Amino acid sequence: MIGQVLGHYRIVAKIGEGGMGFVYRAYDEVLHRDVAVKVVNKDARLDASASQSLLHEARASSSLAHPNICTIHEVGETDGELYIVMELVEGKSLRAMTGDAGLPPESVLRYGVQIASALARAHDRGIVHRDLKTANIVITADGLVKVLDFGLAKQVGSGIFEGTTRSFTTLQDASNVSGTLPYMAPEILRGDTADYRSDLWALGVVLYEAASGRMPFEGRTGFEISSAIMREIPNLLGPPVPPGLWAIIQRCLTKEPLQRYQRAAEVQAALEAIQSGAIVSSDAGPDQSAPRTTVLHSVRHAHVKKGDFLLLVGTTKGAFILRSNAQRSRWDVGGPYFHGHNVYAMAYDDRGGQHRIWASTQNYWGTLLRSSDDFGKSWTNPQQAPIRFPSDTGVSLKNIWQITLGRPEEPNVLYCGVEPAALFETRDAGETWSLVRGLFDHPHRPRWMPGNGGLALHSVVLDPADKQRMYVAISAGGVYRTNDGGSNWSAQNRGIRAMFMPDKYPEFGQCVHKIAIHPGRPERLFLQNHWGLYRSDNCAESWTDIANGVPSDFGFTVLVHPRNPDCVYVVPVESDEFRCACDGRLRVYRTRNGGASWEPLVRGLPQKRAYETVLRDAMTADSFDPVGIYFGTRSGQLFGSRDEGRTWQKILDGLPSVVCVRNAVFEGASGLWPTSHKAASAPKSRSRFPSTRQSRPTNRSRPTKKR
Amino acid sequence: MIVPITFHIPDALREFTAGRGRVEIECSPTTLADALSALWTHYPGVRDRLVTEQGQVRQHINIFIGDENVRYTGGLASPISSGSKISIVPAVSGG
Repeated sequence: MIGQVLGHYRIVAKIGEGGMGFVYRAYDEVLHRDVAVKVVNKDARLDASASQSLLHEARASSSLAHPNICTIHEVGETDGELYIVMELVEGKSLRAMTGDAGLPPESVLRYGVQIASALARAHDRGIVHRDLKTANIVITADGLVKVLDFGLAKQVGSGIFEGTTRSFTTLQDASNVSGTLPYMAPEILRGDTADYRSDLWALGVVLYEAASGRMPFEGRTGFEISSAIMREIPNLLGPPVPPGLWAIIQRCLTKEPLQRYQRAAEVQAALEAIQSGAIVSSDAGPDQSAPRTTVLHSVRHAHVKKGDFLLLVGTTKGAFILRSNAQRSRWDVGGPYFHGHNVYAMAYDDRGGQHRIWASTQNYWGTLLRSSDDFGKSWTNPQQAPIRFPSDTGVSLKNIWQITLGRPEEPNVLYCGVEPAALFETRDAGETWSLVRGLFDHPHRPRWMPGNGGLALHSVVLDPADKQRMYVAISAGGVYRTNDGGSNWSAQNRGIRAMFMPDKYPEFGQCVHKIAIHPGRPERLFLQNHWGLYRSDNCAESWTDIANGVPSDFGFTVLVHPRNPDCVYVVPVESDEFRCACDGRLRVYRTRNGGASWEPLVRGLPQKRAYETVLRDAMTADSFDPVGIYFGTRSGQLFGSRDEGRTWQKILDGLPSVVCVRNAVFEGASGLWPTSHKAASAPKSRSRFPSTRQSRPTNRSRPTKKR
Repeated sequence: MIVPITFHIPDALREFTAGRGRVEIECSPTTLADALSALWTHYPGVRDRLVTEQGQVRQHINIFIGDENVRYTGGLASPISSGSKISIVPAVSGG
């Protein structure tokens, strides 16, 4: 290999050997720099799919610009040789530096902070290391930590991982797993997928090893090591290891992932606090002198698989994730997540190959936008609230009412409508958010008035045909439209009543409850007002009253059929004073002629003493054919229809007040705009939706789009 | 000699204080604002849970110096003395 050229890299010398192959020093003849080239061992037996996965993962990892992460420059293949080109890091591995006695605590803290910082960056980008160990961590001559092989373990190390995961009980020789097994978290040994918390377990092992020179879980065979990981408590690390550092290691090494730190940034902050020396003492347990209370946080996870259909349900006491298959007849319920928080907005984002659930949470500790890449098993909990008003506004965030995905071709763009009424935008997938000043500085804003729920910007609607056009709706401010990507906004309320104003048709100030656009006919919008039901066929230039035959034109939600631009669903409530289903009969109303007439859809819905309310975001439509419609009520009931509303079944009851319902299909094609998908074996004759029973998903009829 | 300020941290915030329910920090603050700054220098995740982005203590959060609610002693400008004990307590509210 020495002297050969791979791509434009001339191999200079062999500098190492690892599980995935040999590592060479090489010279980049284009950019004239020294690099390291890892040539993947053919024994790794990567098939075409695994090679593609490796390429994909390496590309993702190459975006991790961080001083403590060894940068991946390129992954290539020449003459059947798969190789990874990365930053040449010269130094000693942490394994080699540690020796048998361990490092001084100051060094452990110094290195630990940098490792945790590297993990925090990777985790924020959705990348799990999966093979963190002291042999993968290099310390340069000036003390800088470089973590190697980010994101590569999933593909290249899969032979080692899966063999160990599936049949660790048969392993007889610890050397077979060449230093990987002792860092594996219990959940991996149980066969679960590695996630961020598995990396934090490995970080605990690394810190233990660095501090003591010993492994926390030892054994002569793989079986013994695995048993120790699953069952044993590591030996105490006493002086010179400071108690604070030992407490951090212990928390990383908690068997149950939920009891560990949930984010690498938390470990980093804890290590830095010890490092600063300013914390002179602390306790890890409760205040012994205080009265005790008993709290049980019971969370159940839905185990989501490819092809599954999901309902995301936000309530006033937390979020739930319901899983089913294309039949949508049996439901597995995950949650509650965010105990006691208002979850007014949720969204599913599968653009760019991701499968991220977004949720807004609000309680007395503030309002946060959070996300999960593993269907709720773990959620971000950022140290600093990502959505915040700039200091010059003098305004503080109260709640996030709406999460809207940007266009399919801009997978890093999202919008949030918030209270007090304002629009925020991110262009880096939620890492940083900025206030849309064009709307915030609008001269009308000081005269917007809060509705019953607060001064909320609750609807953010993108025109699928015009990239510069967007609509928002504010209660109570009305509809605003931009035609230039957000710089300038105009009130678009001609024809919409404001019953509570002296001028019943003002330029702005209407209490609009919800707007919806038809994806296939983007000039058409529908609007549920605080008294009034409207349609616009000219991009909101004017609105026409379409409350022709509904029992009340007061309501909150308005839902457009994903394919038929004449078909719309609403759930009227009796009046402003009595915001409950008219006559105590829960009726969904549907028009199939653009609002010229409406028909009640009641089969399966309670028609006696059903004083229900369906709030503005508590209704959603899937993209099956026929379309499925789902809604939740303030009384905590969840209903669904698999036949476009002709018949309804109760999916679940006993929930807290439902404020948001969204649907998704795991591993559907990416894209914002729904299209028709025939559910080949979907809804047959099953007449009920039994709740909370384990479903057996099938891929026979997989819908491929979300709403 | 500096006598450290003691912070009592509620359960909900302990994930931002490495699991600690009591934190003692050596600092010489003159006001509650100074003391809190020292707290979130070490535990930055605590800040946004206690105060808004405009720096106001959140509506349903109570902070006590000793047994006194700072709402009645000057809020963030409340004086702090060496060795003060500061408790962070969510108010009784909600439904």
